[in-house]
Amino acid sequence: MTKSASFDMASDSPNCRLGLGSRGGFRLVQRILIALLTAMAAVSSSAGDTLPNIIEDAQAKIVKIYGAGGFRGMQAYQSGILISPDGYILTVFSHVLDTNYITAVVHDGQRFDATLHGADPRLEIALLKIDATDLPHFKLYEAVEADVGTRVIAMSNLFGVAMGNEPASVQRGTIAARTNLQARRGQFETAYRGPVYVLDATTNNPGAAGGALLTVRGQLLGVLGKELRNAQNHTWLNYALPIAEMEAVIAQIQSGAFAPSAEISGAAKPELAYSLERLGIRLVPDVLDRTPPFVEYVREGSPANKAGIQSDDLVLLLNDQLIQSCSALREQLEYVDLHDEVRLTVLRGRDVPELREVILTAAPETFRNLP
Amino acid sequence: MKTPTPLCTIGRLAAAVLLGIVAAPLPARAAEELGALEELAFRAATARVAPSVVRIETLGGLERVGQVLFGPGPTTGLVVGENGYIVSSALNFRHRPASILVRLSDGTRKPARLVATDQSRMIVLLKIDVDAPLAVPEFASSEELRVGQWALALGRAFESDEPNVAVGIVSARNRVWGKAVQTDAAVSPNNYGGPLIDIAGRVVGILAPLSPEGDDEMAGYEWYDSGIGFAVHADQVLRALPRLKAGEDLHAGLLGVNLRGGNPSVSETIVVNCHPNSPAQRAGLKAGDKIVEVDGRAVERTAEFREAMARCYAGESVRVTVARNGERFERELELVAKLSPYEHPFLGILPMREAVAGGGVAVRYVYPESPAAKAGVQRGDILVAMAGEALPGAAALRNELAEHQPGAEVQIPLLRNGKTRDVAVTLGRLPESVPNETLPPARAHQKPPQPDAAGGRRVSIKVPEFPNEVWAYLPETYRPDTPHGLVVWLHGPGGFQWDELLAQWKPHCDRNEWILLAPKAVDSRRWDRIELPLIRKLIDQASADYSIDPARIVLAGYESGGAVAMVAATQNRDVIRGVAVIDGPLAAQLGPNEPLQRLAFYVATSPQSRHAKIIQSTIERLREAKYPVTVRRLGETSHPLAPEERAELSRWIDALDQL
Repeated sequence: MTKSASFDMASDSPNCRLGLGSRGGFRLVQRILIALLTAMAAVSSSAGDTLPNIIEDAQAKIVKIYGAGGFRGMQAYQSGILISPDGYILTVFSHVLDTNYITAVVHDGQRFDATLHGADPRLEIALLKIDATDLPHFKLYEAVEADVGTRVIAMSNLFGVAMGNEPASVQRGTIAARTNLQARRGQFETAYRGPVYVLDATTNNPGAAGGALLTVRGQLLGVLGKELRNAQNHTWLNYALPIAEMEAVIAQIQSGAFAPSAEISGAAKPELAYSLERLGIRLVPDVLDRTPPFVEYVREGSPANKAGIQSDDLVLLLNDQLIQSCSALREQLEYVDLHDEVRLTVLRGRDVPELREVILTAAPETFRNLP
Repeated sequence: MKTPTPLCTIGRLAAAVLLGIVAAPLPARAAEELGALEELAFRAATARVAPSVVRIETLGGLERVGQVLFGPGPTTGLVVGENGYIVSSALNFRHRPASILVRLSDGTRKPARLVATDQSRMIVLLKIDVDAPLAVPEFASSEELRVGQWALALGRAFESDEPNVAVGIVSARNRVWGKAVQTDAAVSPNNYGGPLIDIAGRVVGILAPLSPEGDDEMAGYEWYDSGIGFAVHADQVLRALPRLKAGEDLHAGLLGVNLRGGNPSVSETIVVNCHPNSPAQRAGLKAGDKIVEVDGRAVERTAEFREAMARCYAGESVRVTVARNGERFERELELVAKLSPYEHPFLGILPMREAVAGGGVAVRYVYPESPAAKAGVQRGDILVAMAGEALPGAAALRNELAEHQPGAEVQIPLLRNGKTRDVAVTLGRLPESVPNETLPPARAHQKPPQPDAAGGRRVSIKVPEFPNEVWAYLPETYRPDTPHGLVVWLHGPGGFQWDELLAQWKPHCDRNEWILLAPKAVDSRRWDRIELPLIRKLIDQASADYSIDPARIVLAGYESGGAVAMVAATQNRDVIRGVAVIDGPLAAQLGPNEPLQRLAFYVATSPQSRHAKIIQSTIERLREAKYPVTVRRLGETSHPLAPEERAELSRWIDALDQL
């Protein structure tokens, strides 16, 4: 859409919405609209797929899950969604499931003993099974994807406020971002680094994990995740895992064919990796939490020297990744295979700073001298 | 794509609605269509500003500012000049990064320099060198804003090609003393520094944490994602740009007056005091003057005055209209960024705590070597006036003194044995030592204890919403007609035993007329930030239930409890008059010394204390800001107070109403 189009269309819609329009030309149209919208509100309960009806329909597919916890402030409950008529429940893999006595309470208040059918520790999802038939459920193959700016509803038993046959809590919000998860639980980065929906509403509270994220048309988008902090800025994250990311794994767990991968810590370190020593760079003494990686000294004849790195250069990027401290540079180099090249972007000069990109390759003698 | 005109859009909407009438169910379709159009509008508005929303990455810097852990993560900025000027939130640079990088919407990275900071609105200006002109967004005037209209908060905090969006509405205009638009869209470090836009894709403000109470970079941070978010009005940011581009840091403009206290929406704009050497004092403003206009805008309540002043920066001039004795006059004043710190003067006496028939202040004790002693003031004298103003009581003398600083000479007529004499006193500095003798009683006639006044008893206090256990001790002397001091004891790690605490302090409470109040942290090992408001509630509740002397409200804390006392004191300057910290890490962001809000510090520490370094630097900062600091060395190693040390602290508390 062109700029002027977006401007024009957008500038008047709040007026329509609020009935505040003052520009004469639109008044009549607006009056009709207001009348229609008022009429709509009056009869909305009789209609088929209104938001309240969509929510009511979805409520029957949300499950309240109770298990272990209840000490040191850890809640003993979470949420889940029914994904088959015969009682498979999709939820998050958490300490709540760490017990032989898991209870699932469905929308009408019926309580079931649930068994842990299987779990994926990387995605941190789990499948529970209850003994029942003909249950209302979400069909995973009908799940959709949505863009930033899409309005959504989140349904979960956050804070455990719903009990027995009480329906789950419903919140509204908008998809704020689609991004790869970079999150932290306490000191540790999470295993899953894949795509998530970030939301602009505070949906991810205790007990919400395992709840459903839906479009306002009732289409399933994802499952609310556990409470996590954004690893980048330490704020609490509100997010959901897209169904597409876990569909295959769910099918495998359901059929019993799932074998969790042993390696869940992300990228593996290569056998032969770069190091500052191999590049011929010495950084300034690492005295602060985040000492900026200024180059103190470049060894004569080293790869860094040949590539033109100078002392006082500040290393900003390693292969396009932002490097924020001496220790980060040291760590990240351990992931670059000695057979590959290293691309460094450095900032040179204090008064008139300029960015400079250089490519370094390990000199053959570096290989030869290896023990 | 074809360009729809506004009429087209409305037409489309109407057509959709009309179609809905024909094809049942009617309302669902129409609502769906309306919702879909709104989503389209959100996306179009976002797309219009997105090229101007940039990501800011920083290198190095502090890991922690105050209590807040700083993520190294990216923050947001907004292009305001096609030649490379970018604004952002000052919070994003609070950790003083060594280097700043800007990533433009097309992915190119540029080194940036911080040109200047607007300390009043917490906005910074950055500059990058550009190869081609940058996209500058359209701005909307704050005059056009209407509460209820859509507002979208944009940021670039996530790894994604498009900005992150939070949707909400305009909740209020002219918030935080007229500086900001308030929104219910989620505002947090994920979009601080980014724009708040209207649905036409025009920038209405720059997202930043703000607080009506605090004015440092962290103020308002605790409100992130709470339903209350702020964006500095775009037109105010634009107005500040020329000065920021010139590299000038901007500060709030200060006049140097203290207006009548109390509820700012009720209190009249009556000057109670002018800061020495301030623009107001140089222009001849005096206590009792009423400020009626600022730059031609009528102001009646102190809140209106504050809002009018918040628009001004230091270095700018304002025209102030003042009413005095039924006459009005105007003064042109140049505002300053900083007032020279105010220092309280010292006469050298303790007042008796009973009213004198016919007015005046009876002298309870004359400090040896003090200005009063040198001028010949004696115990039992009644000070009847100061600088020509009659003194109905000690509070009036305290306010009168707040007009002066050490070194000033004042005339104090006094009554001795029924005869009046005139005494000239050259005011000194508040003492930092505690009188080492037992002070004479503060009342000539000790009233007998009242059996039903709960004196000599301990009481349990419950504050709604707080699960904390709180105990208080009312001294034997307590009577509802005898105002007592109030000491809130904040325990260190591990909590406390009430019986032990009471045994230590009971004699002092009884002798020096103060109530001991001791809350317990929910987790006895440490205090949580969320427990801070409890302290204020306790003071308010005690002041409502008992007769409390406002000149002697003290927070005292051991170890980490001392740190809590410091923070709580900075948040409650209006009521706290003393802070006693026993070997606690004493760090606080304290505002300037206020003539009418005295605050004294008592610090007990030792050279071996693990907090020795930070304690020493804080003491120096407090003294620089002209706060009186009494330091008690606890020998070589730190320990809880010994009996004689407790007695000294109690005398310090007793002497807080010194004049």
